[in-house]
Amino acid sequence: MSADADQYVIEIERLVNAVGGVILHRDVNLRVRRDEVLSLVGGSGSGKSQLLRVILGLKRPKAGKVLVFGVSWDDPSQKRVRDARRRMGMLFQNGALYSALSVYDNIAFPLRERGGLSEEDIRGIVNGKLAQVELEPRHGSLLPANLSGGMVKRVSLARALALSPDLLILDEPTAGLDPDRSESFVRLIQHLREEHRFAVLMVTHDLDTLHELTDRVAVLHDQHIIACDSLDVVRAMKHRFLQNFFGGERARRALENGRSDSMESRA
Amino acid sequence: MPSRDAALEIRTLAQDAVPIRVRASGPWTFRGMKEHHTEIVRTLAELQKQAPERIAWDLTDVGEIDDAGAVRLMHALRGARDVKVAPAHRDLLEQVARGLAVPQERERVDPLAGVVRVGEAAQDAGIHLRDGVTLLGQLALDASALARRPAELPLREFSAGIYRFGVTALPVTMLVGFLVGIVLTYLSALQLKRYGADLLVINIVGIGVLRELGPMLASIISAGRSGSALTAQLGVMRVTEEVEALSVMGISVTSRLVLPRVLALAVALPLVAFCTDMAALAGAMLISKYTLGIMPGAFLQALPEAVKVVNFWIGIGKSSAFGFAVAFIACHYGLRVLPNTDSLALGVTRSVVASITAVIILDAIFAILLKDIG
Repeated sequence: MSADADQYVIEIERLVNAVGGVILHRDVNLRVRRDEVLSLVGGSGSGKSQLLRVILGLKRPKAGKVLVFGVSWDDPSQKRVRDARRRMGMLFQNGALYSALSVYDNIAFPLRERGGLSEEDIRGIVNGKLAQVELEPRHGSLLPANLSGGMVKRVSLARALALSPDLLILDEPTAGLDPDRSESFVRLIQHLREEHRFAVLMVTHDLDTLHELTDRVAVLHDQHIIACDSLDVVRAMKHRFLQNFFGGERARRALENGRSDSMESRA
Repeated sequence: MPSRDAALEIRTLAQDAVPIRVRASGPWTFRGMKEHHTEIVRTLAELQKQAPERIAWDLTDVGEIDDAGAVRLMHALRGARDVKVAPAHRDLLEQVARGLAVPQERERVDPLAGVVRVGEAAQDAGIHLRDGVTLLGQLALDASALARRPAELPLREFSAGIYRFGVTALPVTMLVGFLVGIVLTYLSALQLKRYGADLLVINIVGIGVLRELGPMLASIISAGRSGSALTAQLGVMRVTEEVEALSVMGISVTSRLVLPRVLALAVALPLVAFCTDMAALAGAMLISKYTLGIMPGAFLQALPEAVKVVNFWIGIGKSSAFGFAVAFIACHYGLRVLPNTDSLALGVTRSVVASITAVIILDAIFAILLKDIG
């Protein structure tokens, strides 16, 4: 394994991706380091979710290279692909919980599929995960249809974390949550990362989340990644889209509020 | 080079107060425990048999730890007094220990479970009946409103329904009808030949196909084909809250979703049954020529004499009622789907079974009511 493969969890090189004959991404290059939180932002329709689908191996790109943990999804070795898949957890925007399974069984599902753990071991892990995402063991018997939006996100996060992934992919993790819940969700991710330094790739529109959680921001615009750096550097760039995106009155207020809050809490 | 796998090292000092000293090292993770997994599990199981106070644990050399490693260790550590843990790993071990300590809920055995189940089934049947009658009543109200203002019929849904439930169903129903016509005629011909009553085959097949088989075949295939599609479609609309969206906009779900579908199938099914009749008779004609030597011209000439035309109209009328029943039951089940995949699957299965049963029951009722006609 090369040093690069150890350093980066995701490497995308010269990616070209098309949907229904329309080119969405052209010559996209992006690398996610193994210990960072990278946020992917862009206007609506810029193809963030499609890029995520390519990274997840749900869609085959037209050209270019996508490596996750140094493994391409086209790798002839099924084992390497499976091992790479098991090292990543995904939080879908709408949770994507299995509607026919209870909360407990949803979280236990990847553990059971992986094998090698007894039901008692699984019970320990699932109850631990429930506690980690601030749910109680009694919630385990509920069905996804009976959960609130915030609970769906937390159960989905617990499922994504069940196999202790080295890479967590979050698609709009705070969409549909009230500000309080979304703040506690961000704190939860921060806390989990303190325990286990997994990498995070996050697609978000929420500037508060962006400010509080992100190490680097990659901006997808006009088929390309036009910037990929820390939030401050990206905001200072002289690009019309960036200035509109981060410089609008609401964005400025959100980012500055976030900053003063974090400074207050530090003080 | 440090070991890439989890490891356990055991030292036994017989004369010591704590005679067994266990040192764990390496990555105790899903991936790190791969190589020596079985060996470690066995060793830990053996250690569990020892009295906890006889073992001293040193986990400070554990490099990385995740839930899989923690849960393994915690089983063995239960009751242990002398445990050294790296501070970074303490939280995870405690979290897993708490997880393991959650008492498992045992399913209670209810001696009256059978009675409860029967009661629930009866209640369920009652609810189905009530909801069915409500839907039927609502449909009647919608239909009468529509009769007053015919321009309000959702014409697009209605015509789409006729195309989807009628036109696209023709190939399969006609093929089945044709084959059934062949089989029925062939088997009848074998028997009739023995008694020299060759021409009676036209009576048997004519009445059988036009009055019973044509409508039944068309309805049963429609129940499987269109009924399941209708239930699944309305069910998914329930799951994605499209039905609720209609209600919120003040649009009647029954008049917009149910009525056009029920009307479409009630109109389309007689047409499908007619084509099935024709295909079955074509099959009968073909096989009569080869087995009994009845030429198609003679067959067609003898048919109106052998079978009164009222039988044909009974068949067509029945299929309209069957179409109504199939679509009605499919919509009833579709609107009851809950937002989960199991409920959708169950709804579709029950809808198909119920509509086929309903078609057969209706057919029996028609047979009794119309026994003196034709």
